[in-house]
Amino acid sequence: MNDHGHERSRLRGWLDSRYQITPLIEFLRHKEVPKGPHSMVWYYLGGTTTFFFMVQVVTGVLLLMYYQPGEATAYESMRYLTTKVPFGWLMRSVHCWSAHLMIVSLVAHMFSTMMLKAYRPPRELTWVSGYIMFALTLGFGFSGYLLPWNKLAYFATSVGTDLVKSVPLAGDWLLHVLRGGPDVTANTLFRFFALHVVILPLLFVGLIAIHLLFVQRQGMAPPLGQKVAGRGMKFFPSFALRDLLLWLLCLMILLVLSVFLPYGPGIPGMEWELGEKADPFEPAFPGIKPEWYFLWEYQLLKEFPPHLFGLEGPQVCLFVVTLLLAVWAIIPWLDRQAARNEPSPGFSDFGWGAILFLTFLTLKAWDIGALQPVDSPASLKVISRTCAWWTLGLGAIIIIVRFLFYHDRWFIFTGAALLHVALHGLFGLSYLTAGAIAASLAAAAVARRVLAARKTRASPGGVG
Amino acid sequence: MKRTLASTLICLLAVAGSAAEKPAVPEKLAALLTATNDAGKPVITPEQRTYFDGLNDHITALLSNATETEIITRPDHLGSILALGLRPQKMEVLLQDNCVLCHTDPEVQKPETLFSLAPPGGSNSHLNLRHLVDDVHFARGLSCSGCHGGDPASDKLEHSHVKEWPGTARDKDRAWILSFCARCHSDPALMNRFNPTLPTDQLAKFRESPHGKLLIEAKDSRAPDCLSCHGVHGMRNAKNPLSTVNPKRVHETCGACHANPAKMAGFKLPDGSPLPTNQVAQYRASVHGRALLERGDLGAPTCNSCHGNHAAMPVGLSSVSQSCGLCHAGAASLFDGSKHKKAFEEHKWAQCAKCHGNHGILKTHDAMLSSGPRSLCVECHAQYAKENPECSASAEHFYATITRLDQDWNRYNASAEQLAAKGLDVDPIHDQLGELADTIKQARAHVHAFSRNSFDQVADPGNKAADTISTLVSEARSEYRVRQMGLAASIGLIGLVMITVYLKLRRLERQADEPNR
Repeated sequence: MNDHGHERSRLRGWLDSRYQITPLIEFLRHKEVPKGPHSMVWYYLGGTTTFFFMVQVVTGVLLLMYYQPGEATAYESMRYLTTKVPFGWLMRSVHCWSAHLMIVSLVAHMFSTMMLKAYRPPRELTWVSGYIMFALTLGFGFSGYLLPWNKLAYFATSVGTDLVKSVPLAGDWLLHVLRGGPDVTANTLFRFFALHVVILPLLFVGLIAIHLLFVQRQGMAPPLGQKVAGRGMKFFPSFALRDLLLWLLCLMILLVLSVFLPYGPGIPGMEWELGEKADPFEPAFPGIKPEWYFLWEYQLLKEFPPHLFGLEGPQVCLFVVTLLLAVWAIIPWLDRQAARNEPSPGFSDFGWGAILFLTFLTLKAWDIGALQPVDSPASLKVISRTCAWWTLGLGAIIIIVRFLFYHDRWFIFTGAALLHVALHGLFGLSYLTAGAIAASLAAAAVARRVLAARKTRASPGGVG
Repeated sequence: MKRTLASTLICLLAVAGSAAEKPAVPEKLAALLTATNDAGKPVITPEQRTYFDGLNDHITALLSNATETEIITRPDHLGSILALGLRPQKMEVLLQDNCVLCHTDPEVQKPETLFSLAPPGGSNSHLNLRHLVDDVHFARGLSCSGCHGGDPASDKLEHSHVKEWPGTARDKDRAWILSFCARCHSDPALMNRFNPTLPTDQLAKFRESPHGKLLIEAKDSRAPDCLSCHGVHGMRNAKNPLSTVNPKRVHETCGACHANPAKMAGFKLPDGSPLPTNQVAQYRASVHGRALLERGDLGAPTCNSCHGNHAAMPVGLSSVSQSCGLCHAGAASLFDGSKHKKAFEEHKWAQCAKCHGNHGILKTHDAMLSSGPRSLCVECHAQYAKENPECSASAEHFYATITRLDQDWNRYNASAEQLAAKGLDVDPIHDQLGELADTIKQARAHVHAFSRNSFDQVADPGNKAADTISTLVSEARSEYRVRQMGLAASIGLIGLVMITVYLKLRRLERQADEPNR
């Protein structure tokens, strides 16, 4: 043994005598990542999300050294930071890009988990902890958006927080709590600052710890249908070094984007130029839109009439959104087939349907194909039609790929999402009417399939 | 407990009792309010009824009185009064004035004496009831009898006009209108009671104006009187957008005569040429007209800003720069100190108007200084100052300097936008661009001094600002290059680490595979 190896062994002995690290090292040495017919790439998305979060923490701490919350200082300190402080512009740019990429990575991680049914027992709580982290990440985005106290942030926050009013009974109280008063003021800024730099990070770090603990205790989910764990990939060094390579690639991409596009790609909902300071006395400028990950909800709100079923439109919309998100949260308990380690194509199709549903609303919020003036009835019709064609195109690709390469035969939710888009965008039905027709047909088709499956199972020759 | 319940009940009964105390609508008035037409539908509309229900007891009593004394006897008459939707103070004035009440009854009045919301002569008719109640005099309690005489409290059909009212011959010589209005408007003590800021010299000014002389001395029937500009019934404060003397409507009011060739026929300019009637059209297209009428800039001038109002008269040759100088003080002062002032006076040229025009002043452009086809200088100088080559050299110098500074501003502004999009600090560049823009503005104004030295003194900070901006732009570009180089170095370093990690990974995996072989 050379000197270097001898010293390492002495150090390990020293640590082991005090902290008993040998079982931990043995655990890590034998830890494996399952291999299967699907691509290994889906296993790395949790790691990239963690990487972007770490970048957020580091750049956030550096920004915090100059940022001063307050009506008279927030904007000024951000301006000073980005124009006068060496590399201040880079820190802000990396922080903003990393925030958006973290959400992209998180969404991809969530959908891959959903499609691969990695949520199935015994990993239900891993899904739930990830789901809560997703909600917290959106909270990070929303609270951080106001901190520069510029015009866009101020009015977007005013519009965004206004939504809380739609919560039945406690709406006004919640709005007051969120804003620290009836309007968006310096009180709101202080609250959002505390949320963004103390409350949410503490919660998030705690949840990451729980999420990782679950993953370490249970291991990564093996591919569906694999009953006996096969020989997987060694976590150390194979998976960990690959993870490191991917993180370095992410860092590279992050730096290139931050230098060449310091204020974002210029897409509405994905731009962060400081612009002018917020002036609460100015009227809100028209066409103000939230960040891209909230666009679908913003568009959905616009599709609801002011009053529906004796309730206010936004209230009904909030109810529908809450219902959809609740279904998404309890999927591990709903998907009984996956729980039996059997393929559950219906739930995969539900995921694809959700992607198409979100895609259409987001494209529409971007006013793709708009005429001038954007809000004219003719323009709204053209927007609906153009976005419908784009979504139908994407849907067709998804169906063909799934049909030919993955031999899927379950397209009820995808079909319902596309029917919804077609009825609304191509045949001019209102969004809600088209949605009601598509949802009713989908519900009938699902009921028919479920009944047929039960009948088959119940019959003597059926599969038990 | 029982006592609490009892006291609560008493309170509730008292509240219910007080609600029931509102007096019932008198029988006659109630009958009009609920009357139906031949088709069986109520004559009083729901909106009118809602308005009536909101009236206070005093107004209701006045309405009731009008029905009891049979001044209001018909539901449609009552409806036309309720349809006005007046605030209580104005409604009180109206209901105490039997002139208005009687002259709004279609049963009693002939069409030419009936005030209604839709008079036969259109909305501008002097019989428009809406105009009458919106009149600035009406709001202060001065109603029909204030001008027409009679007793508004009397229900007898008598007219005893005030002595200044000339009776049947009042349209032949309308000069009496001046003194009629002046009874109040030239009385400082009286006017002070209503509006202390309102001047009382309108008649004195008008007498001295060409309009006044035409009306009083020449007794020309085409000459304007007070009513020509201010209207008859429905005179509003000049700040009211509906007023005929609101800044945005003055050009229409003046144009009613001055843009009408028939009315202007026979009137001549001092040089004997016919008085033109295209001023309003020119004004609308001018930089001033567009500022006021399109952009709504109330600081922009209209007819009376240069010509005056009650003392309206042509702007004299010597007073053009004074008139323009009210707003363009810098340029007017520079012109007054220039050598051109004397030359213009010798040639009897109308100072500012000679180069810029009068009613149709268009936006100026730098090519006015050039020797090209859009030049303003060349024509006069070729005729009157051709022996002085220094003048055209100065004009060329002005033109070249302003054009260069302007081009610099445009070029560097575009550079600043590009650099800002790349995330660089462009605040210092914007500061200098502001300095440059100010210099260009001042240099353009200083052209009016027609002095090369004076112009150069003003333009020099612009040259310095342009040099500073050039340096700042170069520095910002260098910084961007440094950023790119830093990025390339970082990418190289990260790439190197990645290659090392990859090689290490391969070696470890190969080592791990070897025992298995």
